[in-house]
Amino acid sequence: MTEKFHAELKSLKSETLEMAHLGRFMLRTAVDALIRQDNDLAASVVARKEEIHTLEVRLEEHCYQLIALNQPMAKDMRVIACTLKVITASLRIGRYGKVIANIAKKISDQPHIANLMTIPHMADLVIEMIDDAIEAYEKDSIDAISDFSARDDTIDSLRQSIFREGITYMMEDPKSITRCTNYILVARYLERCADHACKIAENVHYMNTGERIEIH
Amino acid sequence: MSESAIITTNNVNLWYNEKRALESVSMKIPKNKVTALIGPSGCGKSTLLRCFNRLNDLIDHVKITGEITLDDKNIQESGTDVVLLRKKVGMVFQKPNPFPKSIYENVAYGPRVHGVKDKAELDKIVEQSLRHAAIWDEVKDRLNDSALGLSGGQQQRLCIARTLAVEPEVILMDEPCSALDPIATAKIENLIDLLKKDYTVIIVTHNMQQAARVSDYTGFMYLGKLIECGKTNQIFEHPHEELTENYITGRFG
Repeated sequence: MTEKFHAELKSLKSETLEMAHLGRFMLRTAVDALIRQDNDLAASVVARKEEIHTLEVRLEEHCYQLIALNQPMAKDMRVIACTLKVITASLRIGRYGKVIANIAKKISDQPHIANLMTIPHMADLVIEMIDDAIEAYEKDSIDAISDFSARDDTIDSLRQSIFREGITYMMEDPKSITRCTNYILVARYLERCADHACKIAENVHYMNTGERIEIH
Repeated sequence: MSESAIITTNNVNLWYNEKRALESVSMKIPKNKVTALIGPSGCGKSTLLRCFNRLNDLIDHVKITGEITLDDKNIQESGTDVVLLRKKVGMVFQKPNPFPKSIYENVAYGPRVHGVKDKAELDKIVEQSLRHAAIWDEVKDRLNDSALGLSGGQQQRLCIARTLAVEPEVILMDEPCSALDPIATAKIENLIDLLKKDYTVIIVTHNMQQAARVSDYTGFMYLGKLIECGKTNQIFEHPHEELTENYITGRFG
């Protein structure tokens, strides 16, 4: 029976990885749609909202069933605990992708201010963090997430700088208020996505070592 | 372990003829706590349990080295009063084994052997022991009925009451629920939790969920060695040893 359980655990993990990749894809595509002002691309992100929700419900259910039927312990228990967090974080990342896609559609009729400031760069860094967190979960390794604290600090600084820069553009030209407010919101959502990558990293660390850490 | 230890083993080795069943076992059993011993069949957990009341003395060709102390006294010394030791360290076995006597006589037997003659005193001990073993309400109106008429779970709680009647300090339990259904098992598990207020409990179990549920400390044994011993939540959440990890996640054993 334990062989069956371990096979199920493996399949749970690979399905969760699919969901994590979907969340990451939604965020990446939404930012691309924002940069290119491509409404069709933005709409394609919004269209996947139901898919990621369905995955969340199905995978959580799978976790609960494995717990109820097998009473997992030690690393098996930690894998499921971590997986539940990865599911939640992936859903949130995907949802932020959807929200950014909606913003992209809303402000696509006017040219960008200052080439979106540092949003594209910030998005690249956030997506790299998500990639590394997913890889750490996939490979049972904490190497790729060891510098997350410093990387998260960089993301926080970028959000603050986008906020300050946006305020100066708004003060110079009130017609820029709608776009700049949305940029500030996008920066905030990207920062939250980095926080979710950190959450995954913390839980992967727990999954592999049994020790809890907090990434600030 | 920061709690004070009631039993300590220091480098204990045990051989059945040429076969080494325990190898350099050193551990501390904290007082008023439940300690579970887990491990695959033949790993030595029942053998170790039987060391604590010298029940291995009853088996031929057993050789033991090392030190086992109860309340800082070495119980391996030749002058040890084994009857007194077994009064202090009671035992409950895998299958309920009541005497073919009445419920009352089962519990009164031990105190009587140890010199209690007064009927009122015996009545008091019987009632207290049955209450402590959470079976009083079920048997108080039929104390003179045969113990063999009780259900398996009731018989096991009666055996626990029989152990309690001689006021032990430590109670050894060797797979006490393996012959019981889930409801009777739950009752014994609840009882173990209540008992630790007044006694130290050491339980051998194959059921890891049971070890996780009832114990404060867990020792994992493998091929006669104590591989790891620590707080139960640590052992079941993140054991330090890979062997422990592999055993409790069902990868062997």
